[in-house]
Amino acid sequence: MKMVTAFNGNMKKAAAGLRRINLDGLRWRVFDAKGQILGRLASQIATVVQGKDKPTYTPNRDDGDMCIVLNAKDVCVTGRKLTDKIYYWHTGYVGHLKQRNLKDQMAKDPTEVIRKAVLRMLPKNKLRDDRDRKLRIFPGSEHPFGDRPLEPYEMPPRSVREMRPRARRAMVRAQKKAEQQQQNADGKKGKNEEAQEESA
Amino acid sequence: MWSSNRSMSSSLGVERTKKKMNKDKIFKLAKGFRGRAKNCIRIARERVEKALQYSYRDRRNKKRDMRSLWIRRINAGTRLHGVNYGNFMHGLLKENIQLNRKVLSELSMHEPYTFKSLVDISRNAFPGNKNVVVPPRKVAF
Repeated sequence: MKMVTAFNGNMKKAAAGLRRINLDGLRWRVFDAKGQILGRLASQIATVVQGKDKPTYTPNRDDGDMCIVLNAKDVCVTGRKLTDKIYYWHTGYVGHLKQRNLKDQMAKDPTEVIRKAVLRMLPKNKLRDDRDRKLRIFPGSEHPFGDRPLEPYEMPPRSVREMRPRARRAMVRAQKKAEQQQQNADGKKGKNEEAQEESA
Repeated sequence: MWSSNRSMSSSLGVERTKKKMNKDKIFKLAKGFRGRAKNCIRIARERVEKALQYSYRDRRNKKRDMRSLWIRRINAGTRLHGVNYGNFMHGLLKENIQLNRKVLSELSMHEPYTFKSLVDISRNAFPGNKNVVVPPRKVAF
């Protein structure tokens, strides 16, 4: 069953340029970006798209696998990057330095976030455009490549460092506050029920 | 000054031939260059000089580049088996296997089973300090 009906609009974009990529001895790797940290995911994708995980790597030939990234809108960042990470670009006219922060970019086009991250991690040479063509990113979890032989990519296990004391204290305080609010809500509900019982 | 030299050399005949040989040599070396660098002597002379300098430098760079390419290939090959390059080479060192990187990269490309046995030998000799690499679930052979 093909999922073409799910994105009639994006089908062109999703299948764009597939003819230009010859050599279909390549695998189709699927990355699930749900809950992954943006940069760490992007560096793994960049190694796969370059073909650096194959022992037949040749620097003048683009041999990377096709990478499909799903759930691009669920990618996470740490710290205050959601509001503080700003993408800058200059239009070429004097004084026209434009900017947009991560939150707005995710609202506008969540696939661009991952695409920029990966593209900026690839070596800046003539193969970069070809490698960009091998990257297909989808905001949701559906994609039109269901009929290809797909291989899910297992991310390496990550050692999360423990929280800094101040952050930990803030988290504990937030938890306590949430618990108190729940108790208040339960208390109020309990009072409401008593009032109803009394009235009835 | 230059024209006078030319006229003198044309009458003498000796310098003329020397210059001509030089020019021919340069144009021979400048084959395939872009634009005027293959046709016009002034530009061709500069580019040919640069080209010879680059080739001198790159004869030494080539050895470095090839070694780094071998290392990248060995790294990719060992990571398929869950070992990274550093631990792998350390294990081989401990076992006193003196295969060089060129041969190892060829093995990793063309002889996968031999390479796997090498990786196992290295892993037995040096299991590695941390769990650096997670091997992919499906090993494509």
